[in-house]
Amino acid sequence: MLKGADIVLQCLRAEGVDLVFGYPGGAIMPLYDALDGSGVRHVLTRHEQGAVFAAEGYARVTGKVGVAMATSGPGATNLVTGIADAKMDSVPLVCITGQVRSALIGTDAFQETDVFGVTLSLTKWSRLVRTIDEIPEVIAEGFYWARSGRPGPVVIDIPTDMLKAKKEFSGPVKFTPHARPADAKADGGFTDTIVAMLQQSSKPVALVGAGAKLSEAIPDLRRLLDHLNIPTFATVHGLGAVEPEAPYYLGMVGMHGTRAANTALHETDLLLVLGARLDDRVTGDPTRFAPHAKIVHFEIDPAQLDRVRPCDLPVIGNLADTIPAFQAELRQHTLPDFSGWRAVACGPERAELDPRGLAQPTIRFLDELFSRLPENSVIIADVGQHQMWAAQRYRSSSPRGFITSGGLGSMGFALPAAVGVQLAKPDTCVLCVSGDGGFQMNIQELATVHRLGLPVKMVIIDNKYLGMVRQWQQLFYERNYAETDLSDNPDFVEIAKAYKIHSFRMKEDAMREFPVSQETGDQIDRFLSSPQAELLVFDCAPEANVFPMVPAGAALSEMLLEEEPTQ
Amino acid sequence: MQFHVRYRNTQGTLMRILNAASKRGLDIPAVHAEPAERDHQVTLALDVNQKQVGQLYREWYSIADVIHVGSGAAHTQTWTGHHPPAGVAIEEARSAARA
Repeated sequence: MLKGADIVLQCLRAEGVDLVFGYPGGAIMPLYDALDGSGVRHVLTRHEQGAVFAAEGYARVTGKVGVAMATSGPGATNLVTGIADAKMDSVPLVCITGQVRSALIGTDAFQETDVFGVTLSLTKWSRLVRTIDEIPEVIAEGFYWARSGRPGPVVIDIPTDMLKAKKEFSGPVKFTPHARPADAKADGGFTDTIVAMLQQSSKPVALVGAGAKLSEAIPDLRRLLDHLNIPTFATVHGLGAVEPEAPYYLGMVGMHGTRAANTALHETDLLLVLGARLDDRVTGDPTRFAPHAKIVHFEIDPAQLDRVRPCDLPVIGNLADTIPAFQAELRQHTLPDFSGWRAVACGPERAELDPRGLAQPTIRFLDELFSRLPENSVIIADVGQHQMWAAQRYRSSSPRGFITSGGLGSMGFALPAAVGVQLAKPDTCVLCVSGDGGFQMNIQELATVHRLGLPVKMVIIDNKYLGMVRQWQQLFYERNYAETDLSDNPDFVEIAKAYKIHSFRMKEDAMREFPVSQETGDQIDRFLSSPQAELLVFDCAPEANVFPMVPAGAALSEMLLEEEPTQ
Repeated sequence: MQFHVRYRNTQGTLMRILNAASKRGLDIPAVHAEPAERDHQVTLALDVNQKQVGQLYREWYSIADVIHVGSGAAHTQTWTGHHPPAGVAIEEARSAARA
């Protein structure tokens, strides 16, 4: 006879789980009581949101399912932002929540929340366990849905009496989904259609999203892009999927994308979308998005088609299947000569105005930092101006090397996510880039970093504002900086010291020289190579802005390239 | 417009079906759910535009325990348009793309 809690843990082991993130509390205590000797390592964060973001970081960098645990009521509701985040960014995540005992459900008992109902619209699948007998099937099915198709979040809510009850346990089970006609995949016949569309095109482009990473199709993708040799760009989650040195690569597209990428996207007559869902930050005004183009949309999740802009040819399926099929067809045909178009789209007239970031010390700082990172490092960016600067300057070909909260834009994501990444990749340099606003949203996870002795390298780009909101206030709200002033920030260096983490401050002036001084370079090298956690607080000009920028609701062709001089 | 969604009556599936409509701000003036052979079927009346029809179909199909989605007279016309769901015959998509 085994307790329900032991069965849960055995089923987790059967799903390959050896690490979970969580925070204990009343209703989930039986599960914590069973952890010892289960083979499942538990990492205590200092807030449930920290746990779920850490599980996301782990999942995003490994491709495995991340697991977070919390108790009922406030413990469960504190997971909600992370669950929504995982839904938006297609992150495989299983959240296990304790629930009040079965007899109390529906009575507004102490720490009772209908977490099943609360998360219904945010999850891919969820269950409230009603009998101990269900536990093996529920866990097997939950993990299946978390990792299948377009990955996403799952919630399994287990009343505390189910965790305490005992039953005969014959072992974990496997889940086999019911076959549905709607699950049929593209049959391969799409390939000659796309070739025909390419042959009729004079300005084709390719847009790469996260799908190629999630499908583990990076080698196939790169072979295809080399073959096509057409102007190519990536979403923020597609960064690293394309070799940054490829002559056809134009960088990031969208609201803060490069001039070359956004211009090519506006001019193209055939857009190949490879594993991106075309959200509004990528498209700008959807009625003026790629206005001359036919769109071929490679997508694993049919629900993502036609949300913002209708496509002309959907190709439903895993990129690991559809890309090779497409390329096999391509090899049998000769494509038109796109070199003239490529020369224009990738030409010097559309290059960045300030490629070295000489006018913007923070960009120079990020360039210095990134250029000194060891190969295969992982950068985790929080949300805001620093996130977009980091995305713009990211030059690695490591597909899972740039991690950020893209769809939901959850401030406070980076520090706990970095905990999960560092635990998944203990020998990798993990660089967490935050703003002063976002860092304070989960600053308590400095305690987790210290407790675990994780050598995470943390950077705060400190402009003493909620910078991205302030930028919008400056540009679109007549400089009415309503409630974005953070000039009374605490001293982050002192705070880090209180958590026993080495910390120092770097002034913006250190980046005014090009190249930087030997002393500054050495300081950055020491920071990155330290065997311990380090915090670097970089003083950023309060009113530095991110450009290019496409104003909300504008077309990509209407991007602002640089600051207009003030009168 | 009437929609008929066939589903396995597992926890939350009906709520997910309804949520696909409510999250788009659509009123749901009539809902009728009942057992249908070994499964369940819910019939919804919704005031939707053409774009929303496609979105709803695809979103309902993405729910784990939804088996089939159908609709009233307008259904056939919608489905042979050029934004098919997964599983649509490739020939339809091909001819639409070439149109």
